[in-house]
Amino acid sequence: MSETLTYPDVVTLAVPLFVAAILVEFIWIALKGRGGRYETRDAVTSLIMGAGNVASGLLLGFIAWGVFMWLWRLTPLDLGHSVWVVLLCFVLDDLRYYWVHRFGHRVRWVWASHVNHHSSQHYNLTTALRQTWTYTFTFMMVVRAPLILIGFHPAMVLFVGGLNLIYQFWIHTEAIGRMPRWFEAVMNTPSHHRVHHGRNARYLDANYAGVFIVWDRLFGTFVPELDEDKPDFGLVHNIATFNPIRVAFHEWVGIFRDVVQPGLSLRQRLMYCVAPPGWSHDGSRDTSEGIKAKHLARHPEDTGTPGFS
Amino acid sequence: MPLEILLVLVVGGIAGIALLLHLTGNTRSAVLRPEDTGRAWRRHFPEDSRVETVLTGAGGQFALVRTRAGPGVIWGFGADTVARHLTGCPIRQTEDGLEVDFKDYAVPRQQFALSPEEQAVWLAELEAA
Repeated sequence: MSETLTYPDVVTLAVPLFVAAILVEFIWIALKGRGGRYETRDAVTSLIMGAGNVASGLLLGFIAWGVFMWLWRLTPLDLGHSVWVVLLCFVLDDLRYYWVHRFGHRVRWVWASHVNHHSSQHYNLTTALRQTWTYTFTFMMVVRAPLILIGFHPAMVLFVGGLNLIYQFWIHTEAIGRMPRWFEAVMNTPSHHRVHHGRNARYLDANYAGVFIVWDRLFGTFVPELDEDKPDFGLVHNIATFNPIRVAFHEWVGIFRDVVQPGLSLRQRLMYCVAPPGWSHDGSRDTSEGIKAKHLARHPEDTGTPGFS
Repeated sequence: MPLEILLVLVVGGIAGIALLLHLTGNTRSAVLRPEDTGRAWRRHFPEDSRVETVLTGAGGQFALVRTRAGPGVIWGFGADTVARHLTGCPIRQTEDGLEVDFKDYAVPRQQFALSPEEQAVWLAELEAA
């Protein structure tokens, strides 16, 4: 069993590409007068969140790495590191991403980490870099355990995870309408991912894919982008701060305040941590199901259309 | 990639993009016109079918609205807007207007610049709710 397999840190290497692509998108929008919007403080916040994500990886990455290497020493399986194994690892890791991402929207503890990625009302390439600082505390690293236990080396698993993240960079844009039909059928695209970032009732909890949109089609969470319902980007309740500290931690603070309020049962306190975002013990808030139900009460004509079926 | 080069790339990239955006006029705040306030509010609270604008302050930087769920305030946030209901939020008078504590870590205390007359309108609206 190989202990010392190494791959390049592709996300770090891609930083110059990210900066260049943001400049190209900005110039394209400025020249064409369409295809997205930029706002200085919003973009700077997103970029600082991205830098903080890299920093948190450097500071806390050893925890996940330690767990992965422990699992690697435990397993008797080693699939090697041929190109085909790397490709298979990439596909299976994308399936892993789909489920982690779905948990990220359906379990408040994980949402507390992921929410900052959705906290911009803009949708441009800087939004792609508005990444979490607190992923380690979600413990979602355990979802990668099966990959390691069936014989994919931890370094390979992290390498394909980096490639997955890089793929998702370019889909955070309004500058690209739709890709060719065959591509839209299989791959995650700007159109599919705009849906995912939409705060419209129709688009809540849809299109969790990282690279392959087929996972959403397979697990029933796919919603197409409709021309008559343009995605409105941001959160259901938009935050009002550009302060990166508040952006990074606001939902964690929200959980804490909910959990420590007096008069709750132990189960209710637990539910504030793990129930879907919007759950409340007294029904005073709305989950995505509640928001969709209220929308249909106002717009019964939407019943049975994508996102409401 | 050596950490020093990464640091230079990240800091230089953020500073360069910030400067470019600012110099090309992308730091302007959203301005609320009275006729758009209702639509802007319903974007945040679609269930509020009836929205009346009570006052628009500071050249359109914010607006006080009346809804069935009580009074609310909508204000410019970068190029966009943010809105909150005011019921249950402590309000403090300051030299230049009012300060609202939304009791929300994601929405820090907001200062709304108001003349004494506008403050009176605002406080009367809250009292009536």
